[in-house]
Amino acid sequence: MRTKTTAKPMLRTRMLPAVAGVSALLVLTGCGAADMTKQASPFAGVQGAKTVTLSVQSWVGAQANVAVAQYLLERELGYRVDTVQVDEVPAWDALSQGRIDAILEDWGHPDEEQRYVKDKKTIAPGGDLGVTGHIGWFVPTYFAKQHPDVTNWKNLNKYADQLRTAESGSKGQLLDGSPSYVTNDKALVANLDLDYQVVFAGSEAAQITQIRQFAKEKKPFLTYWYTPQWLFEKVPMTEVKLPAYKEGCDADPKKVACAYPHTPLQKYLNADFARGGGEAAAFLKNFKWTTEDQNEVSLMIADQKLTPEEAAKKWVAGHESTWRAWLPK
Amino acid sequence: MATATAAVPQTGVTALLKHRVVGKLLLLALAAAILIPIANARWASGTWPDALTVDLSEPLGKASDWIIDNRDSHPLFLYFFGHISNAVVLSVRTVYLVLLAAGWAGVTAAAALVAWRVAGVRLAIGTGVAFLACGLLGMWVPTMQTLALMVVAVLASVVLGMLLGLAAGLSDRTFRALRPVLDTMQVLPAFAYLLPVVLVFGIGVPAAVLATVVYAAPPMARLTALGLRGADAGVMEAVESMGTTARQRLLTARLPLARKELLLGLNQTIMMALSMAVIASVIGAGGLGDRVYQALASVDVGAALAAGIPIVLLAVVLDRVTGAAGERMGSGSSQSGRSGWKPWGYAAVVAVAVALAGRFTDRLDWPEAWLVNIAEPVNRAVDWMTDHLYSGVPYIGGTADWAGHFTTWVLDPVRDGLQWLPWWSVLLIVATLAWLIGTWRTALTAVLAMAAIGVLGVWNPSLDTLSQVLAAVAVTLVVGFAIAVAAARSERVERLLRPVLDVFQTMPQFVYLIPVVALFGVGRAPAVAAAVVYALPAVVRITTQGLRQVNPAAMESSRSLGATSWQQLRQVQLPLARPALLLAINQGVVLVLAVVIIGGLVGGGALGYDVVFGLAQGDLATGLVAGGAIVCLGLMLDRVTQPTERRTRKGA
Amino acid sequence: MTTSTPGKTTAVEPVFSVEGLWKVFGPKAERIPGDPELGALNAAELRARTGCTAAVRDVSFEVGKGEVFVVMGLSGSGKSTLVRCLTRLIEPTAGTIAIDGEDVRAMDATRLRELRRHRASMVFQHFGLLPHRSVLDNVAYGLEIQGVAKDERRKRAQEVVAKVGLEGMEQRRPGQLSGGQQQRVGLARALAVDPEVLLFDEPFSALDPLIRRDMQEEVIRLHREEGRTMVFITHDLNEALRLGDRIALMRDGRVVQLGTPEEIVGSPADDYVREFVRDVPREQVMTVRTAMRPADADEAERGPAIAPEATVSEAIEAVARSGFPVRVMDDGRCLGVVDHERLLGVVAGTYTKTAAGTESKTAAGTESKTAAGTESKTAAGTGSKEVV
Repeated sequence: MRTKTTAKPMLRTRMLPAVAGVSALLVLTGCGAADMTKQASPFAGVQGAKTVTLSVQSWVGAQANVAVAQYLLERELGYRVDTVQVDEVPAWDALSQGRIDAILEDWGHPDEEQRYVKDKKTIAPGGDLGVTGHIGWFVPTYFAKQHPDVTNWKNLNKYADQLRTAESGSKGQLLDGSPSYVTNDKALVANLDLDYQVVFAGSEAAQITQIRQFAKEKKPFLTYWYTPQWLFEKVPMTEVKLPAYKEGCDADPKKVACAYPHTPLQKYLNADFARGGGEAAAFLKNFKWTTEDQNEVSLMIADQKLTPEEAAKKWVAGHESTWRAWLPK
Repeated sequence: MATATAAVPQTGVTALLKHRVVGKLLLLALAAAILIPIANARWASGTWPDALTVDLSEPLGKASDWIIDNRDSHPLFLYFFGHISNAVVLSVRTVYLVLLAAGWAGVTAAAALVAWRVAGVRLAIGTGVAFLACGLLGMWVPTMQTLALMVVAVLASVVLGMLLGLAAGLSDRTFRALRPVLDTMQVLPAFAYLLPVVLVFGIGVPAAVLATVVYAAPPMARLTALGLRGADAGVMEAVESMGTTARQRLLTARLPLARKELLLGLNQTIMMALSMAVIASVIGAGGLGDRVYQALASVDVGAALAAGIPIVLLAVVLDRVTGAAGERMGSGSSQSGRSGWKPWGYAAVVAVAVALAGRFTDRLDWPEAWLVNIAEPVNRAVDWMTDHLYSGVPYIGGTADWAGHFTTWVLDPVRDGLQWLPWWSVLLIVATLAWLIGTWRTALTAVLAMAAIGVLGVWNPSLDTLSQVLAAVAVTLVVGFAIAVAAARSERVERLLRPVLDVFQTMPQFVYLIPVVALFGVGRAPAVAAAVVYALPAVVRITTQGLRQVNPAAMESSRSLGATSWQQLRQVQLPLARPALLLAINQGVVLVLAVVIIGGLVGGGALGYDVVFGLAQGDLATGLVAGGAIVCLGLMLDRVTQPTERRTRKGA
Repeated sequence: MTTSTPGKTTAVEPVFSVEGLWKVFGPKAERIPGDPELGALNAAELRARTGCTAAVRDVSFEVGKGEVFVVMGLSGSGKSTLVRCLTRLIEPTAGTIAIDGEDVRAMDATRLRELRRHRASMVFQHFGLLPHRSVLDNVAYGLEIQGVAKDERRKRAQEVVAKVGLEGMEQRRPGQLSGGQQQRVGLARALAVDPEVLLFDEPFSALDPLIRRDMQEEVIRLHREEGRTMVFITHDLNEALRLGDRIALMRDGRVVQLGTPEEIVGSPADDYVREFVRDVPREQVMTVRTAMRPADADEAERGPAIAPEATVSEAIEAVARSGFPVRVMDDGRCLGVVDHERLLGVVAGTYTKTAAGTESKTAAGTESKTAAGTESKTAAGTGSKEVV
């Protein structure tokens, strides 16, 4: 009881410094409007260096792009490069806000492209990466050799029994990956009447680990996978043919019953960075290599466990003619 | 303390309980008999009836779109969130620049000197070594980024927590209003906080810092309030009798008297901030967590560990130093000799000198020649493990076989069973359990939480998650109790165990994602395994402590009666340690639930996957609904397993 | 005892004067004091009827300047509540309290703080020291909150620390001290602000018997040296008898008897008090002034002389040595004598017994008391009305 009556004046006096602190911060940050879509990362641009922040997506191919770009930006152009791992869709948002400067490998996000590139104009296209991506269903080649007909979706139900796991129960298992990836697999399984259960590995790391475990034991499996991907070098896989892709056949996600398209992978830059990013922006626009190049670096990172920097260094040493062309004149 | 109260009136309480139990059961049966036919007639379905769900995806999707479209124009963002975000960026940047300017030598020296001042020489050496290790592992810059983020987040949490704690500590009404909120926030898994902040602030450091603050401030507020309220009434009266003003009472007595709680609050806040700062790498926090996360992409456990070790080191150092400071202050003795600001001055001078030395010798960045690569040997070890344990081990089968059996024989039946149960019977079971173990209020909260899950339209995935949680808790308890019994009986086992527990408790959960998949494959079994690994340390610790604290007199008397050690354990230690065991169960449940989302990353599916999906796809509707469902599950499970406090209070 | 010390009897103006004080805990407490019917109920009945507990019921007394006023009672008798009402640490329900004639209940917050800071300091059973401060800073605490500058308050605290015998421990923390030492700190803290009145709330009950005795000596010494007014709460009858100039004996919130130690022991007001004082070695409390009878003609001239304040046990020694009744002499005047019979009566307790056989003796005793013993006390302003 007594405390209660005494509490009020005390609080008032305690509040004072807090209020003062908040107002001080306000003064410090400028009293007017603060547009948080224009705030860079606090870790960027320290010690007077020009900084570029690149988004690394969770797959190794993307890491390979970033590793080489980072290596060259730092060694050849004198930038300091920060990398942040963000999933694809949030990366668009972050790119629009300028928290990252560039995405080097985008697999096609029409909604976001519409919103940020066309409507808000906060993101500028950065051109082709030079690599063509493709998503599909794969079985290990050792299995495909034993049962050549498995590579046609029509025969998949025959093998459902062999592809069963504890997780998929009485059905065959179709292993899917990270939730950030584009996938129509649930709809495909339903619409193609397949006796399969989609099991989401939840992350690419989990999926790769699982695939390698299967491969080690020469067990059959069916997985959602994509090229270019370094894992093909370690675990040769053969694609299962799905009904052919036709323009627009994947328009309604619920009714999809066709294969995934082949996508030329794109680069995107923050609009402001594209305009005022100087050499770095020019370099990133020029950055273009082949599937083989990317795989070479990916494999060094993922399989030989080189650090991305070492892998980039090795590749750069052997492909001078390729990267020389990227440097701004 | 609780042991005594629980132990003595054992028979009385059980009798009373039986009595109450019968009454409660009858009442529930009556309610069920009336309500169930109605419910069944109206919405006859096994799973939650569609008529009773509310689809939030559209409004949430719209809200998210609105925010993205208006983030750079609407006054709410320009004049409020924008400033918050700006202030965060500015502060983090300032701290980061200071840390970089001090260089590795300066930071290490400063940290060691602070540790020396507040916690003594041994911890100072430990701190120095820990920081150097971060450098050796090639993680200096990420460590500094995490540290900068932590400093800002912890300061903000402490200020916010203290203010809330002061309000709750001084006003009964605020306390009553705040307490359930704080209690609940402590139950919520860290991931649940990420989506809402991302919605407002977008990916990046501001969102990460704010999520961290929201996550880490509650313990500070809670302990501040408890400390202020727990001030020795005699002292407070004496102080009042001397004619102090209210302000003097607060500043000279109430706050200093609560300093032990305040330091404990600081300690907890720091630990929670660290774990959150790591998890927040998913939303672009950068720093060590991001390195772990990136290493995962290339399935590189070694690299993940190289980033994980600094996190563990930071955690252990921060925990020990603040803990030691708390103990010193609590005993109130040591200060006589070392009070005053002078030693602090010397420490500051030394730190600055070291930093300047580093600067002039141009050694600000960690020298590249001093790096140690641990990734390779670690990866080889992991490979060996997975090669040899995964399958085909003679007699006992490989881990993959275990996982398969576990999924088929435990997880599937539990999940199918739960999903087979009519929805109202699930509610009824929850109500019964919660009421038997607590009050009608707890029962009501639990039932409402469970019903909310149904209303959100994620009944089936939630039951799937629930089945995983139940299985994981069961495994955790069996393994945990077994380890705890061993540790409680032998000092040596406990000593050996302690660092292991520390590491597992602070290691970012991402790190053991790959080993878990490598051992158990993809699916719910590895999700359960990850949860067990995460929850085990706390369960072991609480149980060991509970068993250890059993009244020695009771132990002695049973020994004098010639009880075997097994009899002693069963008849004396376990019954007397009951409150601790119940607490262990509660903590086990809460912690297991906290890693459900990590489970989503290894194929656990259900709610965890939905949250990950929401984060990854920027699909806030899915993510928020699933996050909300996890929160509800957490509330429900907490209420169903949290009897001790209430019951002892009632018995007293 | 000190009842007839000239300095005391003349200092008649009361420091505290309390009139019709009530403290009732519970819902709508304020209706109880005004209602004679409710007020007459005992504790259990009152609780059943109203849900209230009357900790202090209609208590009146005055504390004279320089006096040691002891409030004694068992736990739950309301004595601790009473002393807290004096500085309104507990807000009284009804009645008046005046300090030096100023109405305490009418004081505003500032004035009340003044009262607590300068005029009345309290020493607590559980010390109430601030564990995070050194002994010296604890002692200086009262001065600190008054805004006394650091050097000044340290200096004054140092003096008081010396006075209570804690030199050399200034830099220790309370947690490093024994119970007795801690209470010395508590005492020093109260003394440091140089208050007009010291209030003691069972200050020594948490201490070992030997230390308790030391501390009582300490209080007696301080009182002798400084003559400060003290209000002393205790549940220990011996302590009350040792320290008190006057004792108010409380039971269930009421003062059942108020008087000098001698009056309490010598003529208990009711069976409760009698039971209470039964085991007191009365020869050490009773004075010869109470025990004497008028001298016969020849007795007034002969036998050893003794002062009226001397205890019966001293008289016994004198009688035993001389074999004659002892004359009670004051300023060369013989007030009366005590003989074997009288002294034995005191020791045996028959002297005050109300049993039929000794009725006359009691009457005589009471008479003699009113005649000689406590008139000075009555003059000090504590009329018989306090004895409820």
